[in-house]
This record gives sequence, structure tokens and C-alpha cells, in this order.
Amino acid sequence: MEFRSRVEQDTVEVQLSGRLEFTDHDRLRDIVELLDGNGLRRFVLNLSALDFIDSAGLGMLLILQEEAEQRNIKLVVSGPRGDVKRSIDLAKINEIVTIEQ
Amino acid sequence: MAISLSDSRVLIVDDNEFNRKSLALVIRRAGITQIAFAENGAEGLKAVESFRPDLVLLDVDMPVMNGLEMCEALRRNATHEQLPVLFQTAFDSDQEQVRCFEAGGSDFISKPIKPGECVARVRHQLEKRKLFTDLAAYRARVERELAHARAMQHSLLPEGRRLQSVAERYGLVLEAHFETSSELGGDFWGVYPLDDRRVGFLIIDFAGHGITAAINTFRLHTLIDRFPMQDAAPSQWLMQLNGALKDVLPTGQFATAFFGILDLTTDTLTYAAAGSPNPVLGVGGDIRLLDSAGLVLGASRHARYTDHSHRLPRGGFLFLYSDALIECGGANGLGPLGQDAVPDFVRSAVEANRAHPLTPMKERFYARTHLPLRDDLTAVWIARRA
Repeated sequence: MEFRSRVEQDTVEVQLSGRLEFTDHDRLRDIVELLDGNGLRRFVLNLSALDFIDSAGLGMLLILQEEAEQRNIKLVVSGPRGDVKRSIDLAKINEIVTIEQ
Repeated sequence: MAISLSDSRVLIVDDNEFNRKSLALVIRRAGITQIAFAENGAEGLKAVESFRPDLVLLDVDMPVMNGLEMCEALRRNATHEQLPVLFQTAFDSDQEQVRCFEAGGSDFISKPIKPGECVARVRHQLEKRKLFTDLAAYRARVERELAHARAMQHSLLPEGRRLQSVAERYGLVLEAHFETSSELGGDFWGVYPLDDRRVGFLIIDFAGHGITAAINTFRLHTLIDRFPMQDAAPSQWLMQLNGALKDVLPTGQFATAFFGILDLTTDTLTYAAAGSPNPVLGVGGDIRLLDSAGLVLGASRHARYTDHSHRLPRGGFLFLYSDALIECGGANGLGPLGQDAVPDFVRSAVEANRAHPLTPMKERFYARTHLPLRDDLTAVWIARRA
């Protein structure tokens, strides 16, 4: 998995690409660090360029949700498609994380 | 890392007695006391077998067998593939050095011997060897322990004889395939006779793999017995299990699940699911994927599950599997199977071997998958006899 981030006022948008899976656990820490930006209110995880997510990857979304909640930041997962959307729907991650198409 | 060299064994192979003595003198001063000698490559090979050195100091030009030939012979032997060999060479030429490396040399020291350089290079090679053997021993130990843990994980699952007796009792054909990944995994499945007319089936997959996922399957095994299945709808039972797992699992760890109860008197399968891959239901030639969407277990205390009911009369079947079946692939230019291809995958397996469709399924899965598996594979075939 690769990611790029962009800050705009009180929002950070992180664009993930490639495959989010078990082996990416170490990269998660780098993304969590982005939550510590000053005055941050909204954290958008853009999955439109993500091709695959496995169960460990779904776990990472749940971890990010908790980390964001603890900092009073609104986490939004946006634009999942294809297999990624299917996996998120199957596991009903939308009951815990806000998903925007 | 500075190690004591007093435990190290060094073999000096040189046809010149003066060279042997002066080399020995230099390394003895560095603390190496266990030293053996040979006068040519052939003697050197014998000495490697009898003396078992940690390092060889090897001359190039010698009668009978030269140093390059001896080194090549050592490298052909798997036991000595990693044995450090330091060539001593009088020629400070690029070509000579390349020949030494090509013969399998680890490094070289120049002749005439410069004591400081010689000891530094000897020490460097011995330290590398010690690190390597320590790591190899550590790895061997971890592999033994993982194998042991894999065996324990297998022991949680229904064994062949038990499957057979449950199958007899309920007029079923029951077959299962379970293979843990190269490490350990988080798959689990079970079959539960509830009374004379009802039998339950459970398949669970903890996120990720490795030791954490495997430990979670042991946790699960103790939790299952805590919640009786007899009097609860599948959705209620999953809810209870979800609450218990939420208490013990840290954020980010969860499980997907399918729990179904087959009622033989009403020919009905009632199930609830928590995000497991879509099971396959086959009734009278119609083969289709079942809805298994549901919040994964252990993610939220507020999770609610839905009961679904389908007819599963005699001659029908239910096929359960873990995500490895559809996510692993990559061999022979073939990608993973994918969820959508599963009904056809099952249909062609039934056509190929009606009595034991798991057999062609396994063959076709392994033909497209790199081994060792990256994730646990579980496949359970449940058919009602016609």
C-alpha cells in the first residue's frame, strides 16, 4: 500500500493506493501520526485508488476509527470501489465507520 | 559486537611451514587457541571433516589440490556452504581476487601477512558466523514451536471419525479440508449435534494470521461452550459470542463468522452471518451464493445479526469456506478465484466428482495457488443424502 496526504484547513485527506493487507501493519503508524496535526477536525480516508483490502486491512480501518474518536476527529472513509467496497459491505464496517461513496 | 575468539576453531591450510607458523602466531595472539593445520587442499578437506573448524585460512597455490579447488569442493557440500574461507594471496591483482570469490571464498588477506589486517578480517568472519548460527538456531526453534502450535490448532477441529459419526446420525455427507498457512492462522470450524433433528455448523476466521490469530481461535474454543446453541436462534447466539469477543479482543482484531442450524424435519437451514465469505447453497441443480453480510464479531458491543432461512432438502448441499479460497492465487499466471467465480467453481467440482467434490476443488485451488499458503484455508462440504 502507498499513501499520500493533503491538508486543507481543518481536514486531512489521505489517499491510499494498491493493496491494504496484513503486511501493511507498520505503515498504519505513519497514518495514525497524521491524526496529530494541529486543529484537525476531519480525517478523510480516500480509498478510490485502493484495489484490494483483506481482513487485516479492515481491522486497520477500525483502529483508525478508534484513534480518530479519541482525538475528537471525524473519520470518513470515501470512495471504496470494486472488491474493496464488497469487502467493506460484507463486514458491515459502515455500522462503525462513516462510509461515503 | 565483540565476541571472545577463544571458542573458535581455525584451520590453516598452507604448503609452506613458515607461513603456517606465522599465521598461527598471529591469530593465537588474538586469543584463538584451537588451531589445526593441513598442507594441501586434499588434506584440508579431511581436516574440515575431523576438526570442524569455524573458519579456514587457505593458501591458493599448493601441490595435490590447490586452494581454489578445495574451496569449490567445500561449497558443493551443503554442510560447509556457510563455512567462512579466507584466502591468503600474494597477488594483489583484481583477477586473482575475482578467482578467489568465484571459488566461493568469503574474503582474502594479503601475503606477506599484516597481523592487524589478518586479525581484523578473521574476527569479522567469525562474528558473522556466530550471528548466523545463532539466528539459524533461533529460527529452527521458532519453527519447531510453530509446528507444535499448528498441531494444537488442528486438535481443536472435528476429527475424521467424529465427522463420520455425525454424518451417519443425520444422513449427511460431511467432508472438510483445513490447512494452516506457512505461519499460523485464525481459522476455526465445528459441527454441533443439537438434538435428533438439528445439527449446527460454525465457521470462523480471525482477521490476519500469525500467532495472534491462532491464540484467538483457542480463546474462541473456550467461549463457544459458554453459550448453549440448543435454545437460541443463530442470530442471538452470534450476538452472545460477539459480546464475549468484544470483551477480549483489542481494537482492530475481529472475526468473520457463519453459524447455521440444519433442521432435518423441516428441511430448513437457518443461519446468521458476520461477514464471512458467501456460503454456497445447492438445491436441485440451482447453485447460489448466500447473503452473509453482517458486522464482524468483536468490533462493536452493539452488533445485531439477522436470521435467514432457506430450504435445504435431501440431495441439497451447503459449502462453507474461508477467504483464502478466493483471495489466494498467483501460480501459473492465474489470479485469485474471487467471490463471483465460486458458484461455477462448485458446479464444475460437483460435475467432476459428485460423491466427493472437495477433491477436484482442492486440485483446482492448489493448481492456481503459490505454496506455502499465505492464509489458512478451510473448506467444509455438507450434503444431505438423497
